[in-house]
Amino acid sequence: MIVENTGKVVLTLKDVSIDFPTSGGLVHAVRGLSLAIHEGRRVGFIGESGSGKTTTALAVMQMLAAPGFVSNGEIQLGDTDILKLNEEEMRKTRLRRVSYIPQGAMNSLNPVMRIENQIWDAIIAHEGNVPKAELKRRSDSCLESVGLPARTGRLYPHELSGGMKQRVCIALGVSLNPELIIADEPTSALDVVTQRHVMQTLKEVQSKIGSGLILIGHDMGLMAQSVDELAVLKDGELVEHGTVRQIIENPKHPYTKQLISSVPLVGGDSFLDDSIGAPPVNRSAGSEPLLEFDNVSKTYGDVTALHPMSFSLDGEVPKIISIVGQSGSGKSTMGGMMLGFTPPSTGRVMFEGADINRMNPSASLEFRKNVQAVFQDPYACFNPFYRVDHALKFPFKRFGLSQSENHTEEKMFEACTAVGLDPSQVLRRYPHQLSGGQRQRLIVARALMLSPKLLIADEPVSMVDASLRATILKNIYDLKDQYGISILYITHDLATAYHVSDYVIVLYHGHIAEAGPPKEVIGNPQHPYTQLLIDSIPWPDVNRSWGTSASADEDTRTLAELSRNTQTVFRGAVPGFDLTIPGRLENAA
Amino acid sequence: MGGIPRDYIINRAITFVLTVWIAATLIWIIPRLSPVDPAEVMLGRMASGGAFVEGSDQILEQLRERFGLNEPLWVQYLLYLRSIITFDFGLSAASFPTPVSSLIAVALPWTIGLMLLSVIITFIIGNALGAFMVWERTPRIWKVVIPTLMIFTSVPPILSGLLLMWVFAVQLRALPLTGSYGLDVVPEWSLDFAMSVVEHGTLPALSIILVTFGFWTLGMRGLMITVQGEDYVNLAKAKGLRPRYILYKYMVRNAILPQVTAFALKIGLLVSGQILVERIFSYNGMGKLLYDAILDQDFAVIQGVSFIIILMTAVSVLLVDLLYPLIDPRIRQSAERVA
Repeated sequence: MIVENTGKVVLTLKDVSIDFPTSGGLVHAVRGLSLAIHEGRRVGFIGESGSGKTTTALAVMQMLAAPGFVSNGEIQLGDTDILKLNEEEMRKTRLRRVSYIPQGAMNSLNPVMRIENQIWDAIIAHEGNVPKAELKRRSDSCLESVGLPARTGRLYPHELSGGMKQRVCIALGVSLNPELIIADEPTSALDVVTQRHVMQTLKEVQSKIGSGLILIGHDMGLMAQSVDELAVLKDGELVEHGTVRQIIENPKHPYTKQLISSVPLVGGDSFLDDSIGAPPVNRSAGSEPLLEFDNVSKTYGDVTALHPMSFSLDGEVPKIISIVGQSGSGKSTMGGMMLGFTPPSTGRVMFEGADINRMNPSASLEFRKNVQAVFQDPYACFNPFYRVDHALKFPFKRFGLSQSENHTEEKMFEACTAVGLDPSQVLRRYPHQLSGGQRQRLIVARALMLSPKLLIADEPVSMVDASLRATILKNIYDLKDQYGISILYITHDLATAYHVSDYVIVLYHGHIAEAGPPKEVIGNPQHPYTQLLIDSIPWPDVNRSWGTSASADEDTRTLAELSRNTQTVFRGAVPGFDLTIPGRLENAA
Repeated sequence: MGGIPRDYIINRAITFVLTVWIAATLIWIIPRLSPVDPAEVMLGRMASGGAFVEGSDQILEQLRERFGLNEPLWVQYLLYLRSIITFDFGLSAASFPTPVSSLIAVALPWTIGLMLLSVIITFIIGNALGAFMVWERTPRIWKVVIPTLMIFTSVPPILSGLLLMWVFAVQLRALPLTGSYGLDVVPEWSLDFAMSVVEHGTLPALSIILVTFGFWTLGMRGLMITVQGEDYVNLAKAKGLRPRYILYKYMVRNAILPQVTAFALKIGLLVSGQILVERIFSYNGMGKLLYDAILDQDFAVIQGVSFIIILMTAVSVLLVDLLYPLIDPRIRQSAERVA
């Protein structure tokens, strides 16, 4: 754990412990953590939720949520002992000496105040009365330093995109040239392209003012591309600390190794076991396709969410079709239409030959049983008042599949086991007593119990800790191989799509940019948009160049120039899945 | 910025007219479903006055003529619409032949003076207390005092009114017991008269404030707790802003928004809401007028007062709708989208 450093130390943590007194006794959130951060250095705090990384950062700001407190150790900011400051001194220290860039940039700005006023009030709070013209000059230069035009200052937060809001937060964080910047998962809510842009902006302004930086996160790839040193935290303890190169190329602790290996790589080894051959489904050839989009498009007012497209999935051999793209690309709109939640503006969505928006009640019920969904947020999918077994039993009985109470129990146990959960451990619990990963697996089990023919999985792992993503994806993948269920996997994560899918559709502004087998589309992208997406993925490889802020700016401009009528690049077909873009049939060769 | 889009204003204005029209129609229909013949009620009132009424059939006919009861229904309806636009609600039956509009004209300023003022004071006090219940820097003593004060919320206004009368008017003799102003002053623009009005208004206002501030306090408390957990409040703290500044500009400023909407609805209800307060304090406002009219089965007055209540609600909702985009920039944008 030796890191050579010559610069001045900006933050020293000495044997810091943080406790939370709860009704169930004292919880030790952080235990005996010691670390020094030097000026100009970027240090990553990596670990899963509950590892104490954010708690440590908040302790430095003296902003621990009640009833947490620092029970032991010293926190030194430069020569100042943070824990000895009174409230007013601490207030003056925040932002001026140590600034905080929050995780939820979406809601981090006061919605009823213009952006520039939110920069001005910070300056005034630390420097007293500053003339208006001076304030204006400083807020403008602050915004320009993060690549935002000065007129952004006159806007309100709701008029900005997520990436812009996050850059405003960075501008705020560097506005008083602090000695230390703490960035708490600053890009977790952003898509890969925006993530790269924001991270590079942060790195640039941080090196310009020469402050230390703590980057909190759980993505080893992002760390490798962004920081100098890594501190790996697990259950409140520092398990490993070193330069990012040391740790990624030669991890010592098994937990670090696990974190690195859990990042799915494009072209890397698959985390899936392909040894089980896919069993063909009992669907006679020549019957109606399982799912069909017939010239489907969707518009909201003047906005086209999805341009016309047709495809048919025959479902004879189960397949996983991935739909990838950034937020706003129309991928969730597609999912919503497949589930019959939103009717298409034109065209028909057909399930086994029947228009799902014109079904009679009994056919509709049958359709609901046959098409199951797994959504992004495993917290929101359970009714908090019922134990989870109710959530599993209820649809099973509702669809008339239950022969007896014992039969239901048996099926429920079988489904839980299939997704790797111990039924006796989880079923009698309430949703809040389970982890996000357990909840998401229960949702998969619930879908499995109904023996659906099709599963729509909309970002099923984006809210789950990195180490669990592979496991849950494997559960979903097994549904195809062992239960013969076809799956539509909607995601922004190209690396996982590369491994699980049989066919990939890349969406951009409602257009299909590129489509074909994953080895072609993701392994060797041809469309500039797909290329940009792949380039933007952070990899746990210290030697890979992730570009600069200027190049990201350039990329964003190129993207904007890409004609919205850009031609779809077809990269080959797979049997059982036909995709056509109406009006451009000549391309479908 | 560019102010409020014109289409948004037109949209709200149309909603306003429609609301008033539908409500006015309802208060026209409802009495007509009742089997009571207003002309007979009136005649009955004359008869109970003591003397035998000569030529009662003729009078009945004349009254029906006067009230337009012989016209076809749709003509009655149109006449009714025409008259309410000009605030002509006909003649009061109880104090015949005083026009209803002049009864209202006398009562309305008293109600607006007393009720509007107390509702505004309640809004300010209630929200301030609600905010202080949540703010982490509020002295601990307040966090005990405020919930204690809220005991009054569960007391009916008549009881609190009687209690206040007993303490301040009977025991301390500090304030007058009932009435809108003293018998020793003449209603005119003079200091004496103004003082008398304030003295007489204090107790009824106080009784209203005491029993209703808890509504705002509890609502504000809930909103403040939500806002307190918002990321922008957290970031405001991380920015090193002064705590008082965060309270006003970040927390209260955002938490108050839904309260403003609720306030508009309360203004409409203030006429009818505190009828009993006006009654026990013998305060000559709209509430007392309505109360007496119900006792007297004075349909014209009930109709007139109801219409004024509806009009006030609709006007205050319209005002808030028009003001809201100015206090919440997010509405301004969605207003543009609607337009």
